[in-house]
This record gives sequence, C-alpha cells and structure tokens, in this order.
Amino acid sequence: MSETAISSQGLTKIYPQVRAVDGLNLNVPRGAVYGFLGRNGAGKTTTIKTLLGLARPSGGTAQVLGLDIRVGHLAILERTGFVSETKVLFESLTPAQLIRFNRGYFPKWSDALAERYLKLFEIPRDRTFGKLSLGNRTKVCHLLALCQGAELLILDEPTSGLDPVMTDLLMRILIEDHVNEGTTVFFCSHHLSEVEKIADWIGIIEAGKLLLETRLEEIRQNFRLITVSGDALPVMAAPNLVSQRRAERFHRFLVSHEAEEFAARLRGQGATVLEISPVNLGEVFLGLAGKELPCMPGSVGATHATA
Amino acid sequence: MLLHVNTSSGVPVYLQIEAQVKHAVAAGALKQGDALLSVRKLAAELRVNPNTVARAYQNLEREGVIRTVPGGGTYVADNQPGLLKSEKLRRLRPLARQLAVESTQLRLSAEDVARLLEEELDGLGGRR
Repeated sequence: MSETAISSQGLTKIYPQVRAVDGLNLNVPRGAVYGFLGRNGAGKTTTIKTLLGLARPSGGTAQVLGLDIRVGHLAILERTGFVSETKVLFESLTPAQLIRFNRGYFPKWSDALAERYLKLFEIPRDRTFGKLSLGNRTKVCHLLALCQGAELLILDEPTSGLDPVMTDLLMRILIEDHVNEGTTVFFCSHHLSEVEKIADWIGIIEAGKLLLETRLEEIRQNFRLITVSGDALPVMAAPNLVSQRRAERFHRFLVSHEAEEFAARLRGQGATVLEISPVNLGEVFLGLAGKELPCMPGSVGATHATA
Repeated sequence: MLLHVNTSSGVPVYLQIEAQVKHAVAAGALKQGDALLSVRKLAAELRVNPNTVARAYQNLEREGVIRTVPGGGTYVADNQPGLLKSEKLRRLRPLARQLAVESTQLRLSAEDVARLLEEELDGLGGRR
C-alpha cells in the first residue's frame, strides 16, 4: 500500500481561457487531514475534479490511493468519498431512496453509520432532495460520502451552508468516526480557524500553482514574522523568505525557518529588529495569497522536505 | 474534565490543553490517579486533530504531570516525582521574569506583586 493518499507531478489542466491548474506537485500522506486552501478561482475545485477523473488532465500525472488517475478513476471513486462544492443530487429522490441507490455501489457501505447520521443530522428521510433546504442537501451529501467506507474523503467546502451547530457536529463526526480510524481527509475551506483546529497538513494554491505545502506544526514551530525598521534596506532574497511587505520605514518578513539567522542578516544591514513573532495560518495565507509582495513562489515549497 | 480551546486567541491549541490540565491538577480538580480522556476521545470532544492532543499529552507526560499506561489509559501522575527543586525553579523563571517586567512597567511595588501571588496561591486552595 502506498504511503501517500494523493500525489501529483506537474499536474496541469488548461481550459480555453485559463490555466486552471498549473504544474501542481501535491503530496498528501495517508491518514493526514489536509486543508487545501486558496482564494476563489485559485484552482482548488479543478484540482479535485482532475484527481477524481471528472476532468481530463492536460499534462502531468497523479496517483490517488496508489492508482493512476488516467486509468484508475472508477476504482478511485469506489474508495473515495467525495462531497462536491455544489451539493447536487437527483432532485426527485428522497434521502432514503438516495441511500438505497448509493449503497449498492460501495462494497464497504455501512448501514449502521447511515442510520446514525440520519438521526444525528436530523435529515427528513422522505422529502425529495429537490425540496430540501441547502443545509439538509449538504448533510445528505455528507452522509452518502461518509457511509461508503472510503479510505479517502475529498470534501469541497464541507461546511458551506451548515449552521454552527451542524458544522460542529460534522467536525466531531469526522474526527470520531473517520480521522481516528485512519481515513485521509482532503478538504477545501475558507474558514481558516476551522482548518487550523482540524488539519495537520495544509497546501496553499494560487493561480493553479502550489505556493506552500507543509505540516501545520511546521508553521507553529518555525514560521516567524520579523518586523524591522530601517532606511534603504536592500530587497531581500532567501530560500526561507515566504513573503515581505514594506510600509515606509517598516518592513515585515515572513520566513519559513531560521528566523534568528535571517534577523541577524537584517541587523548586519543596519535594520533595527522590532519583533520576531509566531504566526497563525491566516497570516501565512494572507502573506502568500494576499496582496502583499510574494517573493519567489515555489522556493518555499521546499520547506515540507524538512518536516 | 471540561477542557475548551479557543482558536482565535493566538495560543497554540496544544499549549491551551497543557495549561488547562496543569491548572486543573494544581487546583485539585484533578487528583492523583484520576483518569483523563483518551487522545481519540478528547480530540473528538474538542474537534481538534488527534495529533494535537497527542502532542499535549506527550509534553504533559515529559513534565511528569500525567502518566500513560500502555494500552490502559492516561492518569494524573504522582506529584512531580524526582524533579529537582532547581529544575522546578528553572521552569518557572520565564514566568517570573515576565511578571517582573510587567509589574515594573505598571510601577507596582515588590510587596504588591508578592501579595498578588499570595492571593493566587490561596485561590488554588488544595496546595496548602
């Protein structure tokens, strides 16, 4: 059995107007809870579609659960629970009928879990899907994905449309019934505080390129924001520099490791180091995908090798 | 044991878990030999990654606050066995330094600080 749940090498998907996915090298270890982050239109959903064989790659290769996506997509779909961003199913079927329809496709389907989730999620069993609220549709989509005995869950915006109580419940179920049992979870979310709690790996994608892939622990341990003041500092370049921003005499550098050494270099150039502080995921995300000056995207991708 | 985590506080979740367990032990809410939730159960309870809880438990065990019986659960340990007094003081020094800095900043006297500390120690009750 391969050690990675998802890996890709130079995965590319070109639509007529846009390079939606542009040379992506993903590595999602087995058993990880991997938060796949990016702004709207960054390429998250296209990446997922390509990995699941729902869109044909224009270039590169990828393996999901050890299976090549170009030839293995039926086997991949059997072993992967997928909740799409749109949460669309057959409008005229009820949740009870959808369950009966789906269970036949999955040898490891669990009726016990289906019953448990119908109750916990308070899903009306006999109202047709088309007449369900957005929240209830989302819950039905999750139920179907979570009951199929999948080794990998791919969840695109899992909590969009869920109220805070149901969001909390979904998180509990994911950890209790799935993460604790070794299931790999790969999910997209804009709720960074949610990601920070549940994930242990993150990847940040922007314009189809992976800007950062690292253990969350690495960010806590080694990523630092260095704030300095000083006139006429040269533009810095270093492999551990993730992003930098300048405002008049003040400069702020986000570094992925060896913050002390970096600060010493700045001092050597006449800067006064005001603060070296730990960062949270939100600050890293804004530093990379936000409007700050990102420097040398790609170079920071090397950080995960040290994790 | 009712732990809670706050992701917007900026304090890493594993440190929050460690601090709350230590507080519960110091205040006598958790006593020697009391069982803690398993890593998996506490992770589900707090909706956090199991690795985060495992990390907090490892640190607490290394510091002698809890002990893990292989295959048999996690318990509050006997009171800091074998730890030298100099080592205990060494661990506390960064907090003492911060207290000194903040109280100087606020122009509080050494007596004020000592009284404050006394009150907090009394507040924990059980230790006297």
